[in-house]
Amino acid sequence: MTSYIIRRSLQAVVVAMGVTVIVFILLHVLPGGPARAVLGPRADPERIAAFDAEFGLNKPLPIQFGVWLSQVLRGNLGYSYKLNQSVDALLAENLPRTIALVGMSTLLALIIGVPLGVYQALRRSRADDFVLSVLAFVFYSTPAFFLGLILILAFSVALPILPPSGPSGTQALWSQLPNMVLPVLTLALGIVALFSRYMRSSMIDTLLCDYLTTARAKGVRPSSIVAKHAVRNALLPIITLLGLALPGIIGGALITEAIFNYPGMGYLFWQAAQTEDFPVLTGVTLVVGVSVVVGSLLADVLYAVVDPRVRY
Amino acid sequence: MVVALVLFCWIGPLVYRTNQVATALQLANRPPSVRFPLGTDNVGYSILGRLMAGGQTSLEVGLGAAAFALMLGVLWGSVSGYVGGLVDSVMMRIVDATLAIPIIFLLLFIASMVTPSVPLLIFIIGLVSWPTPARLIRAETLSLRHREYVDAARTAGGGHIRVIFRHILPNALGTIIVNGTFQVSDAIIALASLSFLGLGIPPPATNWGEMLSNGVNYVFEGYWWQVLPAGLAIVVIVVAFNLVGDGLRDVFEVRLRRR
Repeated sequence: MTSYIIRRSLQAVVVAMGVTVIVFILLHVLPGGPARAVLGPRADPERIAAFDAEFGLNKPLPIQFGVWLSQVLRGNLGYSYKLNQSVDALLAENLPRTIALVGMSTLLALIIGVPLGVYQALRRSRADDFVLSVLAFVFYSTPAFFLGLILILAFSVALPILPPSGPSGTQALWSQLPNMVLPVLTLALGIVALFSRYMRSSMIDTLLCDYLTTARAKGVRPSSIVAKHAVRNALLPIITLLGLALPGIIGGALITEAIFNYPGMGYLFWQAAQTEDFPVLTGVTLVVGVSVVVGSLLADVLYAVVDPRVRY
Repeated sequence: MVVALVLFCWIGPLVYRTNQVATALQLANRPPSVRFPLGTDNVGYSILGRLMAGGQTSLEVGLGAAAFALMLGVLWGSVSGYVGGLVDSVMMRIVDATLAIPIIFLLLFIASMVTPSVPLLIFIIGLVSWPTPARLIRAETLSLRHREYVDAARTAGGGHIRVIFRHILPNALGTIIVNGTFQVSDAIIALASLSFLGLGIPPPATNWGEMLSNGVNYVFEGYWWQVLPAGLAIVVIVVAFNLVGDGLRDVFEVRLRRR
């Protein structure tokens, strides 16, 4: 088990390095390279040459990569000349709000999705299971931006009970909870569909296991069989699913933040894409990529810890 | 359902003719009526006509990007799985690293550097969605590589490339086709998201995501007809392709089980 964790961690380090390479390449396929990214599209060739010389950008690419990476590893993600702030400071301000959004939505999705999946598995092939499956399918296929719009139309325009915009960046999140409702709901509903579908099939597989037949034969009450024996085991694959779904959830967060003007990392990234603010774009992409790598590492390790049957 | 939508997008404009080039501001923001069954948008385009024109773009990009992503993914995955060893490890870590960055971030990043057009968007979306098919095809290749008929083909003097293209890939076709349908719906969503975020194709060309993005500005005036049709069209086409994918998967799995 320890050797598995070590091997898996080493692999994660390699993948994280891969992420930095991809971001580096993205930065360098730009016409004009990083100099243009920083100085803007109208910078004249002399200034670009001077900039390149100053920051060692006239050296071979592998050396540049080394220099850039050592900066990144020291926590220096660059400076946004458009916003006149360091990317580190921008992230420190916006990242916690995104974590709050992603965390609350995922938690809500688990709270709704898991019981829903269990219920469907127990009522398998009945009418209500079928209706819920169709609903899950539709929600799963609905892009976050459309779902968000429908929610705004329903709860802010037709029935004005909730504010249509996310919380403002100047006050603490917890003091503006009503503004959180629609963004969290938008992001959560898509994930609920994913979780409930997965939980349903996992639960159905578990219900067919021999040890449940044994428990039934021993006279364990059906409610206790479901709650204590089946659900616990059926929950295990959900851990892996959380790791796998992470890129999708973060991607959904970007779109959700864009709909509701929610001042998080995704919103920051979106604005940066429109103003061609490349230091911010690279910084956020790096942070997102590395978080996903760490997240899936944690999911895999946690799975190995909670399920002693898994031997690698 | 897919066929119906294709007919709607390409045959529809022949039946229901609209002006999708010139704006008509005096007709802007009309609710649904006999003349405009789904109303008009903020510059006076008929929403129904726009839905057809936008659908063409959405489907073109969706199919094109899916085909491109599959091509890259199949090549990458089959080579990686067939060669194996260190090459396989390196190629798969590249796939892992690409998958770690959510597609929408990559898309926005690239789209911010270029001025999008239909072929370019097909290229970009294909370029960011190849890792999933690559991983699937690699797994498929791994399981097929040491079958007897593959060894036989090698013994008979077949080169590596011939073995991959004539013996391994045809047997992985089921996986490829099933993944292809999911790629189409993902690509349509990707295009719609990109356009919704304002980095899609510039007007007067349109697609469903751009229509939604446009309608958002008028949601608070209660102009629901500018938002719902395009959004529902996206949901319907995505559900349709996902259903086709699910159905095909069942078909192919049954065949495998019987074998």
